Amino acid sequence: MWILWALIDTSGRIRGRAEDRAADEEALARAGRGEASGLADLYDRHARPVYSLALRILGDSADAEDAVQETFSQAWRQSKRYDPGRGTVAAWLLIIARTRAIDRLRARQARPDSTPTGWDPTSIVDTGAPAPELQLASAERIARVRAVLNELPFLQRVAIELAYYEGLTHTEIAERLEQPLGTVKTRIRLGLIKMREALTGIV
Amino acid sequence: MGRSEHDDFREQAALYVIGSLPLAERTAFETHLSGCSECASEVRSLLPVRDALAMAVPQLEPPLGLRDRVLASMGGTSPLSSRSNVVVLPPRRARLDWLVAAVSLAALLGLGVYTARLRDRVSSLSEELRAAIARADASDLAVADARRTAADAQASVAVLSAPDMARVDLAGQPPAPRASARAYWSRSRGLVFTASDLPALPAGRTYQLWIVPAGAPISVGLLRPDAVGRATARFDTAADIPQPVAMALTIEPDGGVPAPTGDKYLVGAVSSH
Repeated sequence: MWILWALIDTSGRIRGRAEDRAADEEALARAGRGEASGLADLYDRHARPVYSLALRILGDSADAEDAVQETFSQAWRQSKRYDPGRGTVAAWLLIIARTRAIDRLRARQARPDSTPTGWDPTSIVDTGAPAPELQLASAERIARVRAVLNELPFLQRVAIELAYYEGLTHTEIAERLEQPLGTVKTRIRLGLIKMREALTGIV
Repeated sequence: MGRSEHDDFREQAALYVIGSLPLAERTAFETHLSGCSECASEVRSLLPVRDALAMAVPQLEPPLGLRDRVLASMGGTSPLSSRSNVVVLPPRRARLDWLVAAVSLAALLGLGVYTARLRDRVSSLSEELRAAIARADASDLAVADARRTAADAQASVAVLSAPDMARVDLAGQPPAPRASARAYWSRSRGLVFTASDLPALPAGRTYQLWIVPAGAPISVGLLRPDAVGRATARFDTAADIPQPVAMALTIEPDGGVPAPTGDKYLVGAVSSH
């Protein structure tokens, strides 16, 4: 009968977001102490979004797997650098994943490394209130975020995608699209501001 | 009042957040940021957008062996999750059957009142599960839809980041002097076409885009502008088409035609590389 009770307990319990955050931070701390169970928990909870982002950037599953491995490896080695006041563990892992994947992409394309390894805006913005939360990605939320991106004017969206998913600098984007640098900068800025407005209440 | 240095920095916040400032500008911006609370708050307000971009990709399950590889990076063997005292749930479709089977088993064992209470509990739980499954199915549909759009957007970005991409500007012709368009074409990845100020189409007509080599024009595809005359589309093109000299947009009967018959609305020369 214990199987049945365990089932009722897990299904009947609704995990809160705060509870998820605390569990993530606790798992990261364990991983930082070299406990494999901490790393296993982090992996089980976040491997899917981390792998998906790496795959979107690299377009190749073998490369994406390498980037995922590097991401989790960096996370437990540098767990002390994580600061809960600056965002969730989920967001932190995705920042590492994006950096690792873009590094691989640049290495593959033999492109000069103009945005250096370790780029992380949250690392220096530590004034004021805690950063807004990135929640664990639910399918529904992802679909809504994607819809917001798709509603942007085509060239705003393309400029943002080239910057974020291809790791191009604004100068590289302007060259690629053969458009004035000022136009490209404005498009990215307007696009992100529109997304910020549309995202209120979604993430 | 002229533009201050601060205004320039403020404009860079968005570029900084998504990592598209070149190194020198990034360093200068960070120096400014450390002493400017206004720019810091602008950066902070945009962080959820960056986080959303990280999530706004098609979600796929990682390959099975990857977990072991990741855990091996710590030097140990693959442990169970620390939550392994919790029973791992079978896939959601199987859960109801399992519950029902468990209840039947309890009844067989003659557990009487206990079983009745349990059955009530299970029946309300079944309702909850059914509702949850219905919600999950609805969001699966939304995800499938988002994935299709994402795949299309990704294909457009692939064209724009292709090493062999060529850009072609098309100018409005006498029937549409104000119209203009730009095509980004990669022999290996396809064509992205974006036009503005196209006249509205009369009933039964469509715009058709052509790649014009030295020989007969090759149809790329059909195009319909929106209410304000804009059109954006991505097309696959054959990898073996002859080197084009021009691209053109004509007006044609609905469904398109094998060779152009109508007026040219847009024309642009392809420069040879």
